[in-house]
Amino acid sequence: MAPPARTAALSALSLVPLGDAAVTIVLGQGIDLDTNSLVHAVVAAVRAAALPWVLDVVPAYASLAVHYDPLHTDHVTVMAALETFTRATLESSELHQRDVREHLIQVRYDGMDLDAVAATTGLDPEQVVALHCEPLYTVYMLGFVPGFAYLGDLHPALVLERRAEPRASVAPGSVAIAGRQSAIYPLRTPGGWHIIGNTVFRPFDAGATPPCRLAAGDFVRFIPAKSRT
Amino acid sequence: MPEDQTAVLSVLAPPSLLTVQDLGRSGHRALGLPAGGAMDPWALRAANTLVGNAEGSAALEWATGGGLLRLEGRSALIALTGADAEATVDGAPLPLDRSIRVPAGARLRIQGLRRGQFLYLAVAGGVDVPVVLGGRGSYLPAGLGGVAGRSLRGGDLVPLGAEPANLPTTGVILPGDLRDPLPPPQGSVRVMAGPHGELLDTEGWERLLGTTFTVAVTADRTGYRLSGPPVVTGRLASLPSEPTCPGALQLPPGGQPIVLMADGPTVGGYPTPAVVCAADLGRLAQCAPGTTVRFVLIDVPEAQRLYRRRRVAIDTLDRIIRGPTSPTYSSSAEQMR
Repeated sequence: MAPPARTAALSALSLVPLGDAAVTIVLGQGIDLDTNSLVHAVVAAVRAAALPWVLDVVPAYASLAVHYDPLHTDHVTVMAALETFTRATLESSELHQRDVREHLIQVRYDGMDLDAVAATTGLDPEQVVALHCEPLYTVYMLGFVPGFAYLGDLHPALVLERRAEPRASVAPGSVAIAGRQSAIYPLRTPGGWHIIGNTVFRPFDAGATPPCRLAAGDFVRFIPAKSRT
Repeated sequence: MPEDQTAVLSVLAPPSLLTVQDLGRSGHRALGLPAGGAMDPWALRAANTLVGNAEGSAALEWATGGGLLRLEGRSALIALTGADAEATVDGAPLPLDRSIRVPAGARLRIQGLRRGQFLYLAVAGGVDVPVVLGGRGSYLPAGLGGVAGRSLRGGDLVPLGAEPANLPTTGVILPGDLRDPLPPPQGSVRVMAGPHGELLDTEGWERLLGTTFTVAVTADRTGYRLSGPPVVTGRLASLPSEPTCPGALQLPPGGQPIVLMADGPTVGGYPTPAVVCAADLGRLAQCAPGTTVRFVLIDVPEAQRLYRRRRVAIDTLDRIIRGPTSPTYSSSAEQMR
């Protein structure tokens, strides 16, 4: 990790109570891969430390939450311990090694919004596909619904606001874009992103181990499906 | 006496929303899976404790009244807590907030809810559905947990665990400090300053704490929308999504608060100036649409004191019910998992 990102995170570092059973650790205010990578490093370090009062650790873009049981500790103790711990992690010469995987996901680029995205961005549908397949995406975080991975960064030429009218129902496997992110809808949910394709990849399966095939910090590459099915 | 027969609750007529709930599944929020669990965890704990279960055992949660169930296979020790419901067993009124033994074949009918929104039925031995990702509760958005990951339907058979060998004293009535003063008109819910408390100016805080809000009809297990005059008129600073939690009071554009509930998302992008304290989240959950709510600001240490006090009250009830010499009672820590 570039030293400037760590320096910035250390100076931005703040801890705030998230209610009476969690603390939010803030490392920055933007959506960028460097800060997000530090978030994953701190998450990995907190998990590895196996602090007895930690119930769950949750990464977001530039912050993370640590959930704890207020029956066994109090927020002053928790905040002090986590601040010390986070500083030490950010200052250590080697960040915690994480088990990161790379996923290759085939996409049928026949989404209902592909032509509209092409028209709005002034590109051909083929160019939209090529640009969507170009980056090696990072899973910034999961949220919204189980398995919904926020992937970035999308090519700048494809950046669009969300749809003005969210759809009431988006099919699982829909590959979509919005802002500087892309995502695969894991479940049938409402959705306001632009659907450019579909995949048979299912990010969430409650019966599988682990239930989620994408983890925060993982890498994703999209490729056009070889044949139409 | 404990009996070995397989026991089930047979759903003869389903209410509009009846699910299996426990105290939730922790440890999967990083996947976007909320902890979920009972909307009024205190009522669930109380019901379980009254029938001698561990406080987090799985039970049934009604989201409104209605429905008819039949107990099959054996008699059972049961308790109903939470909302104020009109309930009968084989036509005779069933008292709330106390344990009672009902015979095999008993028909349990729930009429309308007089006050409150969530009703809990605990059965000694617990609801014995499979543990999915660390919990037995139904999480409907992903179709997991409970019975087939959905609300119970007519014809469903809800499996019950074996009745524990040492049953508690029956007929114990839930002490007053474990019954929430059921909501409003004068009910208040205590909040702490949240992660973005500083985004609200003095007038904003005055509006948040000085307004009587009304729970909107869209309230569900994900979140309660509160209507009233806007807390803020302009748009608060835009933030990248941050982790959030049940109880988070968010201010979306428009300035009318949404409080996230048990099945609410794990991360969110709306500013969160306040968070409802865990001790009072069940009380808010019991505010049916149309109920009025006011917020009172406390600090985190006070919220944690309130939380511990209620946990201790549950432990004390557990001790009273089991009796001081009960050989099955070991420690409160074991009860809490």
